[in-house]
Amino acid sequence: MSVVHVKNLKKNYQKHEVIKGIDFELMDKKCIALLGANGAGKTTTLQMLSGLMKPTNGEILFSGSREGDDFRHLIGYLPQHPVFYDWMTGREFLEYAGKLSGLSKKDSKKRTQELLELVGIEEAKNRRIGKYSGGMKQRLGIAQAIIHRPKLVILDEPVSALDPFGRREVLELMGRLKKETAILFSTHILNDAEEVCDEILFLHNGRLVESGTMEQLRDKHQQAKIDLEFKEDAARYADLFTALVKVQSHAIKRNKISFFVEDIELAKIGFLKVIAERNLPLVKFEISRTSLEEVFMKVVEK
Amino acid sequence: MKQWMTLLNKELLEMTRNFKWIWVPIVFILIAVMEPITAYYMPQIIDSLGDLPDGAVIELPVPSAEEVLVASLSQYNTLGLLVIILSSMGIIAGERKSGVAGLILVKPVSYTAFVTAKWAGAMLLLWISYFIGYFVSWYYVGILFDTIPFIDFIQSFFIYGLWLSFVLTITVFFNSFLKSPGAVGFLSFAAVIVLIVISGTFSKWFEWSPAQLLSYASTFIMSGPISSDVWAAIILSVSGIIMLLGGSIAIFRRKELA
Repeated sequence: MSVVHVKNLKKNYQKHEVIKGIDFELMDKKCIALLGANGAGKTTTLQMLSGLMKPTNGEILFSGSREGDDFRHLIGYLPQHPVFYDWMTGREFLEYAGKLSGLSKKDSKKRTQELLELVGIEEAKNRRIGKYSGGMKQRLGIAQAIIHRPKLVILDEPVSALDPFGRREVLELMGRLKKETAILFSTHILNDAEEVCDEILFLHNGRLVESGTMEQLRDKHQQAKIDLEFKEDAARYADLFTALVKVQSHAIKRNKISFFVEDIELAKIGFLKVIAERNLPLVKFEISRTSLEEVFMKVVEK
Repeated sequence: MKQWMTLLNKELLEMTRNFKWIWVPIVFILIAVMEPITAYYMPQIIDSLGDLPDGAVIELPVPSAEEVLVASLSQYNTLGLLVIILSSMGIIAGERKSGVAGLILVKPVSYTAFVTAKWAGAMLLLWISYFIGYFVSWYYVGILFDTIPFIDFIQSFFIYGLWLSFVLTITVFFNSFLKSPGAVGFLSFAAVIVLIVISGTFSKWFEWSPAQLLSYASTFIMSGPISSDVWAAIILSVSGIIMLLGGSIAIFRRKELA
């Protein structure tokens, strides 16, 4: 089931076009990553979806509501740098957010307790938020975003500011959340996207340059790759291999060469033969596939 | 309504936590009480400063109780206004600047409730502080000078309070579209000064101006003849407050919060 449909979304700042018309649809109980470099327009897109910013053009249609309706009860939003009332305690803030979202006093209290445990800041609940660490604030931010069980949770760079442990926990938390709602989150770290999300939207210079599920993207862009590493400068050996089988392209980085090949089996046998016959000073032989990062670079370069 | 109470409770709690409930009433008391006390002890104060030639006799006319109470109100018209503006210049602008307003307003919060609850919180603080301060001044005038009928005190209290509320609402209005508390404070103060100066200079044509409420409040204390224009000024102030508040909501609703 579709949760939200975005059509031809545009945003201008003065005359500068930041978002140049993007379309996508988000499905229930799926996690979608919005990927892009700094300044690609990720935050702007998310802010328009959250209703904090008005699109210059295009429409955002939530299922079950009409154009122009207030859709704020359907979404939960965590900004990139969440700011709270420093004089409140974590528990007070969550109860306040719950009541503002329409929960009764009792439900709000109950839900607050649930969420404090879920995001793991139970022991700090009666401390002032001003004394919270960055990671704790991020967790509190996620908790306030989901307190009213929204249909769509929008998270702007939820893990970018966290240490490796915090990042792991938040990613796991998102994996659990996915069972209840749709999640749209932005990041510039591809590994995070790969880990939890089902679908990826690549944003570059205000345009969606590529989108699809992980499998689709892999099939479309990933190539078999053989990496060789030598003891000495690798450039002089490159021709030995390119002459051998059908090599689409290769890249040399000091002692390393990467070959992108069509038929991995054929290449493997051929390569190993050459290496053995000539007794080349090989250090490492690796068969791999292009990573998401390389896909990203390729898509962006287009 | 439930949401509005939640928002108002948050305002009241915030004012408790950042000690506004303590310092604002204290400042209002100090401003008002200074007047009767300095008026009463003026001869002694001048005496103790010394430097007068031997045999010099100073004769100060003793001000009447009414004059002293009116002087207290006049103090509010400078320092009091400053305190009102300073204590409320960040109520919305500050939250927008820090970004917390964005976090709150992506929740299904009514913009009307958000603005009016903030206004109501600030109004409560203002009226309670103002009542305590002005009451203490009235009490001291009664002890040191002469008792002024309580009914006169109450009448002047409400009439002048309307002007203070008007000033507070101007500050809320500037809060609805400016992101910097400093700019809000500056513009509110400028607007109020312009209003006072114009209504004072051209008082003939501005009998109905909210800024004239001070002089009407004074006539109630002095038991002087009460001008019929006082009603015009009261009605205009109340409708001005309503219009400013309505305008604040309309502007705030259209504002992008990101």
